[in-house]
Amino acid sequence: MSADALTATGVTAGYGGDPVIRSVTLRAQAGQIVSVVGPNGSGKSTLLKAIAGVLRMSAGKVVVAGRDLTNAAAEVVARSGVGYVPQVDDVFAPLTVRENLEMGGYLVARSAVPDRMEHVIEVFPRLGSMLRRQAGKLSGGERKMLAMGRVLMLAPSVFLLDEPTANLAPAIARTLLEEQVTTLARSDAAVLIVEQRARAVLAVSDYTYVMGGGELRLSGTPAELTESPAFVESFLGGHRDQAIQRSEADDHADTGKA
Amino acid sequence: MSLLLASVGFGLVTSAVLAIAAVGFTLQFAVTDVLNLAFAAVMTAGAFAAYLVNEAGASIWVAIVAAMAAGAVLSAVLNYVVYTPFQRRGAAPITLVIISLGTALIVEFGIAALAGGINVSYLMSQGKTHDLGGLILTTVQLIIIAISLVVMVGVYAMLRYTKLGKAMRATAANRMLARSCGIRAGRVIAITWGLTGALCGLAGTVFAIDVGSFNASSTDIFLILILAAVFLGGPGNAYGAMLGALVIGLGTEVSAAYIDADYKYVVAFVILLAMLAVRPTGLLGAAT
Ligand SMILES: Nc1ncnc2c1ncn2[C@@H]1O[C@H](COP(=O)(O)OP(=O)(O)OP(=O)(O)O)[C@@H](O)[C@H]1O
Ligand SMILES: [Mg+2]
Repeated sequence: MSADALTATGVTAGYGGDPVIRSVTLRAQAGQIVSVVGPNGSGKSTLLKAIAGVLRMSAGKVVVAGRDLTNAAAEVVARSGVGYVPQVDDVFAPLTVRENLEMGGYLVARSAVPDRMEHVIEVFPRLGSMLRRQAGKLSGGERKMLAMGRVLMLAPSVFLLDEPTANLAPAIARTLLEEQVTTLARSDAAVLIVEQRARAVLAVSDYTYVMGGGELRLSGTPAELTESPAFVESFLGGHRDQAIQRSEADDHADTGKA
Repeated sequence: MSLLLASVGFGLVTSAVLAIAAVGFTLQFAVTDVLNLAFAAVMTAGAFAAYLVNEAGASIWVAIVAAMAAGAVLSAVLNYVVYTPFQRRGAAPITLVIISLGTALIVEFGIAALAGGINVSYLMSQGKTHDLGGLILTTVQLIIIAISLVVMVGVYAMLRYTKLGKAMRATAANRMLARSCGIRAGRVIAITWGLTGALCGLAGTVFAIDVGSFNASSTDIFLILILAAVFLGGPGNAYGAMLGALVIGLGTEVSAAYIDADYKYVVAFVILLAMLAVRPTGLLGAAT
């Protein structure tokens, strides 16, 4: 248990009325990519917001690297080494790309910022050529890369990524998952990633949780999940054998959206 | 020709005063999410603080520091006592506007109660007059313009180059995301109240110097000019507010030279409405 970079236990949260997510429990270890999939409205973003300190939870507990962050303020969560990329409003639109990265490195010593920025540009080379551009004027995909680069500046021990591949072309989305997201985990961080692209994210995950109607429905390693007919049926679109044989072009078959 | 030049001179001074106020107002709004209609009342409080120090024997240029301190403290207090508690309880932005209007009245009547309803003026000399290629300006007017330029450059440099300035812009753009970057937004907002409050106190004093004599309600109409400059430039946009102040300051004073001076505030709003019809987000848009 203490080996977990992130443990969320019995998280229950909502927006004032009835809870939207109920008693969700998950964990992620350093170096792991742990994914959360589920249909639209199943509460994936709500779960990440609760962990990130953006949304109050009415019950449950969040522990990061042994530190209790239950209902800690968002800035405290960030200061505890958690980097959160929200699904929407994920960049500072009026600021330049460089300034966005600087804000990502707000907690980093001033002298370390240039090196960090260089590292971020190594991971996301496209950012290097648009440092002076205004973030609000980037394309949807460029924005997502900036949002990812922004949290990478913090060099967090836990990444919370809410649909980092939204707005990306399927091929680029796959590259992002296979290369950049994998790079994040390789730096000994835990990556908790919410994805619509079930198949693509399964391919890079160490463990996957499936949400439905605000609750955890299933969980397991990708291999275990692809053994589950119900999972294959609802998330990979069809029978297991067919699913596996599907062509690359369908690779972005979206959970729930289908 | 000389009428035009004279009015341009007045316009530049008005613009200089207005720019300090409008930049303070718009930054305050951008970062704190409060459209603070008590801003002009706090200006007056600053002007009176400078008056007290000036009365006690200090030069008005020293007394300005007291005005800035008074503006900063009063603004910070208003934030702690009024605005933040209401925001915490979920008051909508429009509700806060009304609350700030009430606050304006309370501050203004408070000043009137303390100072009496009388007009006061600073003990100071206007200095020599200077003929700058037809523009006739006094030393005092030149100092006001210089102070304003220094403030504009200072605000620009702070927002562009300092960590605090960038954190202010980040907080203005997306408060939640700023917090997720580790920025203590509550602290940034408190500092913003202090800084913009200092600008407010400064603006109040140079306003009082410019108009010569003032009382507790002297800035009432000036608030309208501030709002015109702020919305002309795009609310929340500091550079827009600078530009808006220049347009409104020159527009009102130059028009006053040709049509009845009583209409100069109407002119300010005609300019604003015409501009909003063409560019509803203001000259430079909403972002800083
Ligand atoms: N700000 C909000 N206020 C009120 N209800 C909300 C808010 N955000 C989300 N909800 C509700 O909470 C439920 C879960 O939303 P959430 O965004 O967590 O789903 P999701 O799984 O992330 O969906 P998606 O795949 O579309 O991103 C939905 O029913 C939604 O209507
Ligand atoms: Mg979501």
